[in-house]
Amino acid sequence: MTKVFAISVRVIVLLFLLISAGSAAEPRRISVYAPQAVYQVDILVREGVDYVGLTDLIDPLGRLESRVDGKKLKLTFNGAEADFQDGKRPYHVRSNKLELTSNFLLIDGRGYIPAASIAQLLPRLADQATDFHSTSRRLFIGSAQMHFSVDVRRAPSRVVLSFSAPVNPSTLIEKGRVRLLFRREPLVSSGADNVSYSDPFLQSTSFTESPAGAELVVNLLQPATVSLGDGGRTVTIAAAVPVAAPAAVPPPQSAASSAPSSAASSANQARPAPRPRPFVILDPAHGGFETGAILSPTLQEKNVTLALARRLQKELEARGIPVVLTRVADNLLTWDQRAISANTSHAALYVALHASAAGHGVRIYTSLIPSAAPSQGKPSFLPWETAQSPFLVQSSSAASAIAAECTSAGLPVRASAAPLRPLNSVTTAAVAVEISPLGSLADELAAPDYQQKVAAALASGIAALRGKLGDAQ
Amino acid sequence: MISRKLQYVIASLVLAILAMGFYLVHLKRKAESIGAPPPVQALTAPVSGSAEQMTLYLAVDDDDSLRPTAITSPLPSDPGERGRLALHTLIARYLQKDSPHPLGAGADVHDVYLLDPASAVVNLNAAFSQSHASGIEVEQLSIFSLVLTLKAQLPQLNRVRFLVDGKPRDTLAGHLDLSGWFDVAMVAEAAKGLR
Repeated sequence: MTKVFAISVRVIVLLFLLISAGSAAEPRRISVYAPQAVYQVDILVREGVDYVGLTDLIDPLGRLESRVDGKKLKLTFNGAEADFQDGKRPYHVRSNKLELTSNFLLIDGRGYIPAASIAQLLPRLADQATDFHSTSRRLFIGSAQMHFSVDVRRAPSRVVLSFSAPVNPSTLIEKGRVRLLFRREPLVSSGADNVSYSDPFLQSTSFTESPAGAELVVNLLQPATVSLGDGGRTVTIAAAVPVAAPAAVPPPQSAASSAPSSAASSANQARPAPRPRPFVILDPAHGGFETGAILSPTLQEKNVTLALARRLQKELEARGIPVVLTRVADNLLTWDQRAISANTSHAALYVALHASAAGHGVRIYTSLIPSAAPSQGKPSFLPWETAQSPFLVQSSSAASAIAAECTSAGLPVRASAAPLRPLNSVTTAAVAVEISPLGSLADELAAPDYQQKVAAALASGIAALRGKLGDAQ
Repeated sequence: MISRKLQYVIASLVLAILAMGFYLVHLKRKAESIGAPPPVQALTAPVSGSAEQMTLYLAVDDDDSLRPTAITSPLPSDPGERGRLALHTLIARYLQKDSPHPLGAGADVHDVYLLDPASAVVNLNAAFSQSHASGIEVEQLSIFSLVLTLKAQLPQLNRVRFLVDGKPRDTLAGHLDLSGWFDVAMVAEAAKGLR
């Protein structure tokens, strides 16, 4: 009887432990970083093999059509065809016969492939380079990867981390180190993961990847402060200036105190002048894989917006207006990255540039969200989706001023409101400008004369806002 | 040595292949000369009931306007079906040859669901978004025209959300944000700038 009781207790305890372990286990996922989306795909474990759902993996990347035909799954992705058979390793993609690392699974009409075969299948199906970091379960597709470099500077001591695209890491300042966690950014290391420095401020850096994201730890020999700059493209870790305690105040007229005082003074003089904050941030829409509208067989929206942004930048700088661009090359930024750039630049005005073959002239848009009164007291948190609300009045003023200058320049112009991203998340005056040809030919959008005319009118409108929007935020 | 008989057979087959090839090329050219097939017209399902006046807000690309246009049509009593029929009729107008705001072939609305009298979810088909022209204005005209047409049939409507093939979608065709609810009053206010 006692023996039966003991066995029963052991079985119950074992079951309890198993259930607890099962419920506590986090679902395992693969983080996918693609130029057009960042998302996660659940892992299904069958007979010790990690599987991922084909639809979950591919659907956000393009146009996917799939159908089940008996034991076969046939799919078309952006025009490329592939077929798989339940319980079999061989499969076909773009007429090539390949083999999965384990059998293909067809469960309830959904196809699953081994995670280990992603790197083989995706480049052939999506026609994009694929890099799968199996340990951290991070999958990079196309040109999604972001890189960083570490630059150690003196006088004052600081470490400047430069990133290939805007970032917004979670920052934790601990004793002797700064931890930067990049949950959404597709950050990868360009060289060695652990680097030691012979510097009085910077001891070492270490880069690690995990399913939660990438972490960069900067080990320091002095207390430090962290700031984000250059539209989110740089993180500066500077030696903290110690707060003078009353006891440390040098006695007046003390000969001994004069030397440190002058040293501090010279250090202040050596400190570089702060970079002027831009009055306006220009955002040429689209870029990279995401071309925007196909305006004509030879003209893509992403190229027109970048060319117009460069002309507008010159026009603004000629008027003495500090300006930055969210992108200066053919690279894709997500909407969130654009909004982060705008918000961290602390510019007084954000202008998104678009182009369309439909309509004529210039259209100026503000965000179609409810307006909210700016907070008078302490700064409050703003919902990301409607962060523009308190700035809508300023945005409307900006749209009116720009529209007036365009009218003066003889351009057909219309101002309206539309739900547009990232406008809704920008925490300063923000407008989107869409230009169309004056005539019926879309190629006019690329004509230097027309672009110059539009750029000059926009620059005059923006210049008229100086003093009205206030200084940079 | 191949027999003479077999040589005749092979020669005949080669001639037949060549003739078929030429005929195929001829057929291909003929098909191309006929031109592209006309756009698929959305068909309006027969509706029983008395004819009523229905207002469509027609988008006109030429002058960036939304023109209220009254037509008379039998309308069902069910609000969701009534809304779907109105949008279906509007889209069918956009698919005609002389459309003031052309949409891609096959564009249509699957359903209009009313969560409550003030909230509607419009489920568009994939062809609507996939073949839609890309640009802020052209996308704005499409969505505003759908929202205002729906509001004209369902006066209690306050907000509208769009799905494509039953799924949420970030943008209609790369520009206009479809991820949230459209406040009908705000759309009507913004549309004043279009007229």
